[in-house]
Amino acid sequence: MAEIRAEEETSTISKTFLIKPKLKSKPRTLPQTPESKYWSSFKSTQIPNLVSSISSLSFSPSPPHSFAAAYSASVSLFSPLSLSDGDVSPSSTISSFSDVVSSLSFRSDGLLLAASDLSGLIQVFDVKTRTPLRRLRSHTRPVRFVKYPVFDKLHLLSGGDDAVVKFWDVAGENVVLDLMGHKDYVRCADCSPVSSDLFVTGSYDHTVKVWDVRVENSRSVLEVNHGKPVEDVIYLPSGGLIATAGGNSVKIWDLIGGGKMVHSMESHNKTVTSICVGRTRKEICGDKSMEDRILSVGLDGYMKVFDYGNMKVTHSMRFPAPLMSVSFSPDCKTRVIGTSNGIIFAGRRKGKENVESGGRGNVLGFESISEPERRILRPTYFRYFHRGQSEKPVEGDFLVMRNKKIKLAEHDKLLKKFRHKEALVSVLNKNNRENVVAVMEELVTRKKLLKCVSNLDTDELGLLLMFLSKNATMPRYSSLLMGLTKKVIETRAEDIRGSDALKGQIRNLKRSIEEELRIQHSLQEIQGIISPLLRIAGRR
Amino acid sequence: MMMRGGRSLVSSPPAFSNDAKKLLVCTSNTVSVFSTATGLQITSLEGHTALVTSVVVVPPSSPAAKVLCYCWTASLDGTIRYWDFSVPELMKTIDIRVPIFNMVIPSFLDIPAEDKGKHRDLFAYVFTEDTKETQEKTKALRRQIRKCNLSKSRLVGRLILGETKKPEVLTVSPSGKFFGIRNKCKLHVWKVPDQGSEHAAVRKITLHHTKKITVIAFHPTQRVIAAGDVTGRILTWRGFGNIAFDGNNGVEKQKLINIQEDKPGVRDNDDADSCTTWHWHSAEVNVLSFSSDGAYLYSGGKEGVLVVWQLDTGKKKFLPRIGSPLLYFIDSPDPTLSAISCADNQIHLLKMPSMGILKTISGIKTPCCYPEMCKGLGNGIAFDQTAGLVALRTENYCIQFYSLFDDRGISEVQVCERNHQPGDDVTVIVTAVALSVDGSLMSTSEVKLAEEGIGGLVCLKFWQAGSQNKEFSLSTIVYEPHRDAGISAVTFHPSGNMVVSSSFGGDFKIWRCNNDIIQSDQMHQNFSWTCHAVGSYKKRPMTAAAFSADGSVLAVAAETLITLWNPYKNVLLAVLGETLTPIVNLSFLGKSDNLAAASCGSNPQLSVWSMSKLSLSWSYKLRIEAVASAVDSSSFAALALLPESSNETTFKGRDGVILLYNATNPVPTAIWSVKKAMGGALGFLQVNPSSVEEVDGKTPEVLLAYMNGDHEYVVFDPYCKDAHEVSISQKEGLSALELKGQGGQYGYASIYGELPEFDEKRPETPWVPSFPSERPWETIFSGSSHNLPPLTKLCSAFLESLLEKRTAAVE
Repeated sequence: MAEIRAEEETSTISKTFLIKPKLKSKPRTLPQTPESKYWSSFKSTQIPNLVSSISSLSFSPSPPHSFAAAYSASVSLFSPLSLSDGDVSPSSTISSFSDVVSSLSFRSDGLLLAASDLSGLIQVFDVKTRTPLRRLRSHTRPVRFVKYPVFDKLHLLSGGDDAVVKFWDVAGENVVLDLMGHKDYVRCADCSPVSSDLFVTGSYDHTVKVWDVRVENSRSVLEVNHGKPVEDVIYLPSGGLIATAGGNSVKIWDLIGGGKMVHSMESHNKTVTSICVGRTRKEICGDKSMEDRILSVGLDGYMKVFDYGNMKVTHSMRFPAPLMSVSFSPDCKTRVIGTSNGIIFAGRRKGKENVESGGRGNVLGFESISEPERRILRPTYFRYFHRGQSEKPVEGDFLVMRNKKIKLAEHDKLLKKFRHKEALVSVLNKNNRENVVAVMEELVTRKKLLKCVSNLDTDELGLLLMFLSKNATMPRYSSLLMGLTKKVIETRAEDIRGSDALKGQIRNLKRSIEEELRIQHSLQEIQGIISPLLRIAGRR
Repeated sequence: MMMRGGRSLVSSPPAFSNDAKKLLVCTSNTVSVFSTATGLQITSLEGHTALVTSVVVVPPSSPAAKVLCYCWTASLDGTIRYWDFSVPELMKTIDIRVPIFNMVIPSFLDIPAEDKGKHRDLFAYVFTEDTKETQEKTKALRRQIRKCNLSKSRLVGRLILGETKKPEVLTVSPSGKFFGIRNKCKLHVWKVPDQGSEHAAVRKITLHHTKKITVIAFHPTQRVIAAGDVTGRILTWRGFGNIAFDGNNGVEKQKLINIQEDKPGVRDNDDADSCTTWHWHSAEVNVLSFSSDGAYLYSGGKEGVLVVWQLDTGKKKFLPRIGSPLLYFIDSPDPTLSAISCADNQIHLLKMPSMGILKTISGIKTPCCYPEMCKGLGNGIAFDQTAGLVALRTENYCIQFYSLFDDRGISEVQVCERNHQPGDDVTVIVTAVALSVDGSLMSTSEVKLAEEGIGGLVCLKFWQAGSQNKEFSLSTIVYEPHRDAGISAVTFHPSGNMVVSSSFGGDFKIWRCNNDIIQSDQMHQNFSWTCHAVGSYKKRPMTAAAFSADGSVLAVAAETLITLWNPYKNVLLAVLGETLTPIVNLSFLGKSDNLAAASCGSNPQLSVWSMSKLSLSWSYKLRIEAVASAVDSSSFAALALLPESSNETTFKGRDGVILLYNATNPVPTAIWSVKKAMGGALGFLQVNPSSVEEVDGKTPEVLLAYMNGDHEYVVFDPYCKDAHEVSISQKEGLSALELKGQGGQYGYASIYGELPEFDEKRPETPWVPSFPSERPWETIFSGSSHNLPPLTKLCSAFLESLLEKRTAAVE
C-alpha cells in the first residue's frame, strides 16, 4: 500500500556549490589491489620476549591449527584463537632440549610433533602431554631439519651438517635409509604433497636433490642447481613444481619437466631465509576461489607474496627486523613470521570464527519458536500511522526519488548568508587546513578576505596567526598564505603589539619562516650542484 | 543556402496563445512560435522587415473560441500585421509608415460579446516616432502615443495622447479599462473610452513619485496600480483615478473630497486613495506583474530573483538564483504556467504555484563583458566542426553548446563551481575554450583574479563527453599550469590525445592523455591528462599555438616570432620571423603547407607563411579578429575589422569584412561585409547531408559560420555564387567592397601595390633547402619594406648566419 505521488519533472536553476578544497593530485602508484587488501587484512599481533631467533615455525594440520615456534632451546605452542583475543602467552612450552632447536614438524594428524636440535638429537613429542615419546639419535653433527611426510605417519626425514639425509622408522627409533649425495650441510627438505615416497632436500652445496625411497641404490632421482646455498625448499601444492630459496632469489623449478627452471624471483635485497605456500582469496565474477602464492621472507625484513601463476610479486610488507621463518595456517586465517631477535609477528584474519561451534549450537537450541501472532493494524493504533515507512521497494515498484539533501557545513551556511568573518572564524576553529584555505580562496573571489582580516578581534586574530604560523610555509598553500601573512601583519600591527599572545604567535611564525628559509637555501645549494650535471647529461 | 540564427528572444515580451500551448516570441524580424510542452520551435511568422516590437494575441470571445490563433504584431518597419499563427498565415497588413516601438490593444479585452449585430472598430494604442517633424521640432519630444483604428487600417488623425523623449513601454490593465506609461518620476494612466468611437475624449491622470519609475503593473480586478523604481522600491497605489475617471456624480465627489484628508502616502494631491511602499530589491525593479486572481504580485530585477508578494500581508516568497537579470514575466491563460525572460537570452517556463522550471527555451547566450585587463584573451568561441555546434563561454561560468543548424541551445557545462550573481564584480573568468576535432573532448582555462595581489589562481581543465549523451564531465584539473602566468591559448592535436597550452609566462606545455578503461559496472573510459613536455623560446611570452593538420608540427608564437616544434619529441624545428607586433592567432591552413598568423596592436598584420620555404609568402596590413581554415581544402577565411577612417557611407555601418582566401593566392576569392565584427568569430563546418537541404541537387562541401559580436550568426556556403545574392544587405556590401578592392584603395594593396609581382619574386631568391634552421641572411631583405626588421637585429642575424655556415661546413 505504497502511496505514490507522481510529480511533474521540474528543475531549478539554483544550484548549491559547496566550498571544497582544491583537489589533490592522485598518486601515480595504483591504489590497493584486492590482493594487497587481502594480505594487509591479517591483523598483526606481536609475540615478543622470546629468546634469540625464531628458527622454525610450524602449524598443526588439525584444527584449530595451533602453531609451534622453536627458539633457543625450547619450543612453544600457541593457539591462534587466543591470539585474536590479544593473548600472546604460549599455551604450552617444551623445554627438554640440550641445545638450540633447529626444526619442527607436526605429524599429519597433529598429535605428534618432531623437533630436532643442534646436538644431533631428534625427539618426537606428544603434543597434548608434551612428553618425549621417541628420541632418535644417529646424526653426528647438528640436525638442521626434520620433516614428517605428508600422508605417512610412521616415518621421519631429517638432515644436518653431516651432509647425510636420514629416513627414519619412528616407532623403532632406527634409520631406514641413509641418503648420501650432498657435499655440504643439508639445510632443508620438503615432502611431496602427492606421494609419500618423494621428497626434496636442499643443501649449501647449491643443489637441490629429489629423492625417492623406492629407488634401490639410495641415489637422488633428480638434481637442480640453485646457484647459491639453498636456505629453504618447498613443494608447491600441485606436486610438480618446487620452489627453492637461496641467496637473494627464489626460484621455481618444474620437476616433471626434468628440473627446468620456470622463473626466478629476485625482489629481495638480502638472503631469503624461508618460504612457504600461502593462499589468497580471488574473486572472479562473484564466486570466490583460492589461489596459491609463495610467501617469502628474508633478512632484509620484507615479506613478499609471489604469484607464481602470473610470475609477479603481488604484495610486499616490511617488518622492523631480519626475518627468519614464515608459516601459513592451513585454514588461511593465520600467518606467522619469526624474526632474528625473538619476536613473532602473528597475523590473523577476521572471519567466521566458529563455523563448527555454530553447528553444534543448533542442536542445543530450539528448532522453531512460534512467532507471536501479528495483530492487524487499525487506525486506533499509533503504529498504523507509521506503517510502510521502512518498506523496501519491490522489484517493479515505481520509485519516486526525493532530491538528495545537500549537507552544508557551518562555514557554507555562513557564507550563504554573507557572514564572511563568522565563516572564516568557524572554519579556523575546525582545524582542517584544506577547508580553511578553501574558504579563504572563496573570500578572495568575493573580494572580502582583507575586510574579514581587518574585522577580526584579538582572539580570532590569534587563531588566524596560529593557523598561518603552522601552514604559511607549506608549499601547497604558500602562494596564498605568505601574501596573506604579510597583509595581516601590515594591517593589524597595532593589535599585535598590544597583545602578548599575539606576539608569541608572531615569534612562532618567524621561527617557521626561518626554518623554511634554511630549507630553501640548502635546496638551492643542491640545485647548484646538480644543474651543471644535468646540463652535461642533456648534451648527450 | 543560408541559415541565420542566434537572435535575441528577449527583445520584447513574449505572449502565450489562448490555450497556453504555444509561446510567441519576438525574434528580430520574425515571431517564433514555441511549444510550451517541448520548448522547441514550431513555426515562425515571417514578413516584417525590421525588428518586431510587440505581439498581442487576440483573446477568445467565448470559451469555444479558445482554439483560435490570431495575433497582431507591430514592428519598427511601420506596419501592424494580423496573423493566424496556427497555419501560419498573414491575414492583414496595416501600414502606418512610422516605426512602432510598442502597441497595446485594450479594446478587445473589453467584453465584445454585446455587439452581436453591429460591428465595432478595434483600436490599438501605439508608441511611434514622429518622423515628419524632426527637422522643425526639437528632438526632445519625438516619441508619441497615438491611437490606431485597426479595423479601418489607419491612425486616428491628429490625436496624440502624449509625447516623451524616449520610447516607453505601454502597459495595459488586464481588464482593458486603463493603460499607462512611466515617464521619469511620473506615471501617466489613461482610461480607455467605453464606446468605440474614434474621437472619444481620453481622460488621463498622473501619479508622482520621487524616484525614476522603471515598470508599472495594473491589478486585474481592483483599481490598484503598482510601480517599481530604480532604487528597488515597489509602490502600490490603491483606488487611483476615483475622481478623474468616475467623478461625474456630485455627491460622490463631495464624499471623495472628505476622504482626501487621509490619503496616506499619496504625493502632490494625486488622484489615489493610498500609496504603500515595499522595498526588497537592491537594484532597479524590471518585472512587475499581478497574478490573475489579484492576490499576488510578482517582482524581479537585476539581481535575478523572482519575488512573490502576498498583496494583503506583504509576505514574500522567492525563486532565487536565476543567475541573470529578469526582463519580463508573462502569465498564461493556464494558471499553472507562466514564463520569465532573462537577460541572458533564456525564457524559463515556470510551473506556477511551486515555481519550478518546467522547460527552458534557450537562446544563444549574450556575450559577457570582462574587465579591461582580460581583454584580448581570445573571444572564447570554439566550433565543433562535425556536429555543427558552437561552444561559447557565458557569464555564469558555463560553456554553452549551441546548435547552429537547429538554432537552439543544446547543453551547458558548468566550468567553475560558482553561482553567478548579476551585478557582482567579475572575479572569475573563463578565458579559453578549445574542442577536439571530433568534439568529444574539451579543454577550458579559467582565471581567478587576485584580491590586492593575493589569492590569484589559473586553472586548466580537461573535459570528456560521455559516450551516449554529450554531457561533458571533468576529467582533469591542473592548478597553475604555468605557475602564476595566464594561459594565452589552448589547442587540441588533431588526434585528440594531445593538448598544447601556451602562456604569457614564457613557456608552453604539451599535455598528453592517458586513457585507462576501467571495467567497473559498465565500460567507462577514464581520461587523465599529464604534462608531456615543456618548451620555451628565449623566455618570450608565448601568445598563440596551433597544430598542423596531420599533427606532426606544432607552431607556437613567441610574441613576434613563430617557433615550429615536433610535438612528440619536443624538438625545435625552425623559427620564422618576424612580425612587427605580437601574434595573437595562429592557424595552419588545412592540408596545405601554409600557416596564417594574425598580429594585433599598432601595426596589425595578417601574414601567411610557407612551411616548405620557411618564409613569408604574403601579408596584409589588416586588423584580424578571427581566422578559420577548412580542414580539407587550402582556403581559409579571415574576419577583418575595417579601419575607422574608411568611408562610412559605402559600408553603411558595417565595420568588418570576411575575406576568403586561397592560401597560395593573396587575392581574396570572395569578400562579404558584415556588421558588429568586433568580438566576432568564424568557423568552417563540415556538412552533414541530413541536416542541410540540397541546393540545385548538390550539397555544399563545407559551410562557413560567422558569429558577430552579439552572438548572432549566419551559416552559408562560401563557394556558392548564390550566397552573395541571398541577403540584400550583403550583396550591397559586397559590391561596394569589390569595387574598392579593384580600385586598390585599401589594405596592403593601397600601400604597397599589387602583390602578384611580389609573389613572382619569391622563387628567384636563393635558398638552401638542406638546413631548415639556417635561414640565409639574404632572404631577410626579401619581402615588403614595412616588414623589415630593424638594422640592429639584421646585424646579429647576418653574423649568426655567417657563423652557422662555418659550422655547417665543418660537419
